[in-house]
Amino acid sequence: MSHVAFAFVLTLALAFFSYNAQRLVRYLRIGNGDVRLNDVPRRVWNLLVIGIAQTKILRDPVAGPLHAMVFWGFLVLQVGALEILVGGVIPGFSYAAILPAPLHWLFLISQELTAAAVLAAVAFLLHRRIVVRPKRLQGDGVHSGDAIFILGLIAGLMVTLLVTAAAERILGSGYPLMAQPVSAPLAAALGWLSPGAAHVVREVSWWLHALLILTFLNYLPYSKHLHVIVSLPNTFLSSTSGPGTVGAMKPMDLETEAEVFGAADVTHLSWKNLLDGYTCTECGRCTSVCPANLTGKLLSPRKIVVNTRQRLMEVAPALVGGDDVFGMPFIGASTGTAESTAAILEHRLLDNFITEEELWACTSCRACVYECPVSIDQLEIINELRRNLVLTESRFPEEILPAFEAMERNGSPWAFQPAERAKWAEGLDIPTMAEMQERGERPDILFWVGCMGSFDDRAKKTTVAFSRILKAAGVRFAILGQEESCNGDPARRMGNEYLYQTLATQAIETLDRYEVATIVTSCPHCFHQIGNEFPQLGGNYEVIHHSTYIERLLADARVPLRTDEGEKLVMAYHDSCYLGRYNEVYDAPRQALKRALPVMTLVEAPRSRDNGLCCGAGGGRMWMEERVGERINVERKKEMLATGADVVAVACPFCMTMLADAGAKLGSTVPVYDIAEVVADRLADGH
Amino acid sequence: MKIAVCIKRVPEMDVTFKIAPTGKAVDETGLKWDMSDFDGYAVEAALQLTEKAGTGEVHVISLGPDVVQETLRKALSMGVAKAVQLKCDTVPFDAYAIGTALAAELKDGGYDLIMFGKMSIDGANGVTQFVVAELLGLPLVHACSKLEIADGKGSARREIEGGGELVSFALPAIVSIDEGIARPRYPSLKGIMAAKRKPLEVRPAQLGEVRLTIETMELPPPRAAGRIIGEGAAAVPELVALLQNEAKVL
Repeated sequence: MSHVAFAFVLTLALAFFSYNAQRLVRYLRIGNGDVRLNDVPRRVWNLLVIGIAQTKILRDPVAGPLHAMVFWGFLVLQVGALEILVGGVIPGFSYAAILPAPLHWLFLISQELTAAAVLAAVAFLLHRRIVVRPKRLQGDGVHSGDAIFILGLIAGLMVTLLVTAAAERILGSGYPLMAQPVSAPLAAALGWLSPGAAHVVREVSWWLHALLILTFLNYLPYSKHLHVIVSLPNTFLSSTSGPGTVGAMKPMDLETEAEVFGAADVTHLSWKNLLDGYTCTECGRCTSVCPANLTGKLLSPRKIVVNTRQRLMEVAPALVGGDDVFGMPFIGASTGTAESTAAILEHRLLDNFITEEELWACTSCRACVYECPVSIDQLEIINELRRNLVLTESRFPEEILPAFEAMERNGSPWAFQPAERAKWAEGLDIPTMAEMQERGERPDILFWVGCMGSFDDRAKKTTVAFSRILKAAGVRFAILGQEESCNGDPARRMGNEYLYQTLATQAIETLDRYEVATIVTSCPHCFHQIGNEFPQLGGNYEVIHHSTYIERLLADARVPLRTDEGEKLVMAYHDSCYLGRYNEVYDAPRQALKRALPVMTLVEAPRSRDNGLCCGAGGGRMWMEERVGERINVERKKEMLATGADVVAVACPFCMTMLADAGAKLGSTVPVYDIAEVVADRLADGH
Repeated sequence: MKIAVCIKRVPEMDVTFKIAPTGKAVDETGLKWDMSDFDGYAVEAALQLTEKAGTGEVHVISLGPDVVQETLRKALSMGVAKAVQLKCDTVPFDAYAIGTALAAELKDGGYDLIMFGKMSIDGANGVTQFVVAELLGLPLVHACSKLEIADGKGSARREIEGGGELVSFALPAIVSIDEGIARPRYPSLKGIMAAKRKPLEVRPAQLGEVRLTIETMELPPPRAAGRIIGEGAAAVPELVALLQNEAKVL
């Protein structure tokens, strides 16, 4: 009788879950297509490393191990859950009946120890949610009640699991003591129960446990804890850690007869962006590392993803039908502003959920994307919305208009005269590609100087320093001179894909005309753009950042250095986002500094390498005033100064400007040098 | 409301110009070209007028060789409905010649309002609109910084020395636009794509007689190097003497 009843309940529960699963999949289909099944081995690798091994989760030293415990416990306990569900339907089914005894005992031990460990972790997590309340679990309408409910469910599952086993032990399950390290002591404690009472306890506890499993399963589709189901698939389908070049913006076809370019609503995003919405469990790791958010701007990457989910849940039923028949909203789905279907259809993600101010605050530093434990791509949503603002609606901060116009007219985001691009090289005897070609020669490398390196007075010193190193090392190199022009990266980051493609196509034509194979550049933005994004437009070159190139020259002992010991400086190196998180170049600049000046001490700011804080210039922020909150560059400079360094080293002209400006604001006399300047300063006499 | 805006393609001004070998024109190599600034304000003002009225359309007209089509397309991408190129091999310097061609095009166009930038930023004559007004017999308000059209009548504000001047006029009329009226919108990609499908008509320019030509063009003489007289109070007497006797400013 009991088995028939359970079979009925189980069928109902699975049917209900299946209904919700299909509904949620149908919602995803309102998004655009996106290919996410290329390079399966790489995706499996991500799944194992980020998903199963929880490497991103473990970046938080407190919540990380606790969550990992619950996650791994969850995996282990699935084996037991299967036994319970099957045993509930088929009388007498038990692993004890099909497994050799020692193996079965091992299974029992695994379940009991895991349950106890999960229970302990849940207790800590509840304490964290209710008592500690860390900052990142606040704000953005985070559903803490939902989290506490889920933690309670998990605790209930663990308790009933152990109590059932203890009651069965009292009733004479007869397993060895050591096979039940938790339930055996519990059974001993409950030894006073009469067999009749123990039987009742066993039945009630078993049913509670089984029903909790089914409740848990069916609660997920209505909760941010949907991530229990979709995290692993999302990690597999994500490209934020590869395959392909990470951080490259999505290719865009401008020749289509589209009404909307970029995204104004969830229907313009890809299904993968929408799946990101399902996957987010509002942990706030992204927002806690966002330089804009940290300094008091409105932007919160978590909110961007939560808003995407909210808008999807609001509009999808109206678009594809299949409003939840039970009228239960996804927790946090209702915004309370749109009552009628017409009002819902008039709503959109942009403006009604996400404002322009949030979008323009982004420095595209990729810290959010890098930090996300479930490989959500917050930045792709931001970029798609920016594209819509500029390409479809021509809405953007007035202050970036001069940058757009200068890129169009002067081939640089500043209104410098193109004729003066190579002025820094006057008298340095550096050939242009045209001059080399005229002589029938070909250089080993093209030095792509970049607009900052060509026009900015401070950055020009880096340009000259790097040229000196190349000459001293006997590298045959050339520049494009006046034929160099902005590669369009700032325009792309600011959403102006049309201008970007115009500029990038021109640059590719120039590079291909000279059959350029290898490019070295001192600008991480040019480095990333030409190396990782030009291939989208058919430009394929080997691109090396000057830090890596200098490091290689030094490693090969090709750079004639002074033989004296040099100054015993303390240096702190600031990681450029486009070099670090975008391209994983962390060691080369540090190594170059050490090789050039072995007696110096390299110190690290608390946030460095993949955890480095942005200087505030990326994502087009270089061309916008920072009016809200603290200034990102000042925050960063404070961190760098707190290391006690005599010199702050950078490997990016934008970081250079930002940190030098911040130094001036803070009244600091600690100089900022590019690594090329540090190395050039150590060149032997006569170079 | 039907508005025509006459626009000119001009070189980007913030560069160091060179004189062409003929000595009668600037060397055009390497120059970037765009719509003249004041003409951009005029196009924007015209678009805002029709948008505010909720009806009507804006046409643009430019005179010159085929390269002006680029400038016309830009106006189309901003939201203008139709463009006309009055084709000629070179743009004459004489505003009368140009104005005659424009007047011939505008005469039977049925325009309520004809707009110009107050002058082209390269030629800096600011005369063409006067020629057209004369030839068409229409009233002209020059250098407007504000413009409103209502009930078939227009009112405009002109900035004059030490104040403003409010002018009212009947339509049809000609206005030329000063800066400060409206910042030209940045064309959206949607606008750029739409512009490709909009009509751009090409007709031969019926130029008037050319009675003015440029004889010669020259760059300003290079500035003489400065002179350092000395430092501090000791240098003051000599400085005063030089300002009195040499510069003759005291």
